[in-house]
Amino acid sequence: MYLVANIDVEICASKSCKLCTQYCPEANTIQYSEAMGTDRGFKYGTAYIAVDRCKGCALCVWVCDTMAKNNAIKMIMIDQLPLAAVTDNIRYEEKTTVAVLSNPMIVIGN
Amino acid sequence: MSLDYVKFSGGFEKFMPKEYRDMVEHGPFGKKISVSQMGSFKEILEEHPMCAGCAMTLFIRLAIIAFPNPEDTITVGTAGCGRLAISQAAIPFVYGNYGDQNGVASGLSRGLRLRFGDKPKDVVVMAGDGGTADIGFQQVLHSWFRKERFTTIMLDNEVYGNTGGQESGMTNRGAVLKMAPLGKKFEKMDMLQMAKVAGCAYVATVVPNNPRRVESVIKKAVLIAREVGSTYIQAYTSCNIEYAIPTDKVMEDAKTVENDRYQFTEYVSDEAKQYLTERYGYKDYLPKAAAPAAAIPNKT
Repeated sequence: MYLVANIDVEICASKSCKLCTQYCPEANTIQYSEAMGTDRGFKYGTAYIAVDRCKGCALCVWVCDTMAKNNAIKMIMIDQLPLAAVTDNIRYEEKTTVAVLSNPMIVIGN
Repeated sequence: MSLDYVKFSGGFEKFMPKEYRDMVEHGPFGKKISVSQMGSFKEILEEHPMCAGCAMTLFIRLAIIAFPNPEDTITVGTAGCGRLAISQAAIPFVYGNYGDQNGVASGLSRGLRLRFGDKPKDVVVMAGDGGTADIGFQQVLHSWFRKERFTTIMLDNEVYGNTGGQESGMTNRGAVLKMAPLGKKFEKMDMLQMAKVAGCAYVATVVPNNPRRVESVIKKAVLIAREVGSTYIQAYTSCNIEYAIPTDKVMEDAKTVENDRYQFTEYVSDEAKQYLTERYGYKDYLPKAAAPAAAIPNKT
């Protein structure tokens, strides 16, 4: 198993700094969704990780902890993630994205 | 080389893979996008084979987002890590033989001007420090002396990262590397000064820990290269493998190096300033308004 980044929606959706989306070396890996935050009653949208593309460098963890001081991103073993976004389940909309969360082990395994 | 090549052929929409449909419908082609929108549109560069946490990849990602007209842009590269990512992007990429990239780009940019006239077609060279300052040095410098109108971007990781860590002209003096165990004996080449001497219209250094600055620098360089002359950007893009930087500390290293020896510098020639102001409405280069004169007492 390997580590991937995981974003705490509660913290992220209350700050919504979007810094991590600008610092990830992998394109379209840290995505941003308005609906995934506001639908759950938070003030803003949230960033989330397309876990099948995350190479586990933890650069975003440094950005979130040190630059943004939000401490919302933690590295977690991919099989420990309850539900996560994978690239095939991400839909692009006007100025935002929406992801259908699923068990990454099953999706990537297929 | 236009928006036509990012459209579906009639009747094929439903057969195209999701990736392709996303690129056509939600990609940056024909739209104005900026780094603040990252994570909410389909990017031109995706799924590259670069190492985890590579700062060069981050820079390339930002650079491609910053292209003013990605649908009218061709990138040129050469051997090195950078081309592994640039060649994955959904815009045309030309691979010059090692060191040839600025020669290839010269011909390409002249050919595009003959074919398309005044319609802007941007050529952007992105090559490593070895390709630009060592092996391609002669062609790079000559393209600048000839005032060829395209942008040269050096991805300066200060080492030959792709071949196991040999020293390059851009390696710092004293740096000990896997394939340079005695330490480098000479100073780092001053390519910025050489670019100015050779007559580049725009010369800048940048570090990818400031995405907005990268965006602004690349935009200016590409726009100036359309008409005024050669432009050169030198970007510090650390090699976390050869310099043994832990991947989560890559941005910390970028920040340290930026404060130490890679401060942001920007040289814009007078002609380029005038061009940016008149053609693209840049306000930064307008003559500064004189300080308000001391209030003259009213005589009445």
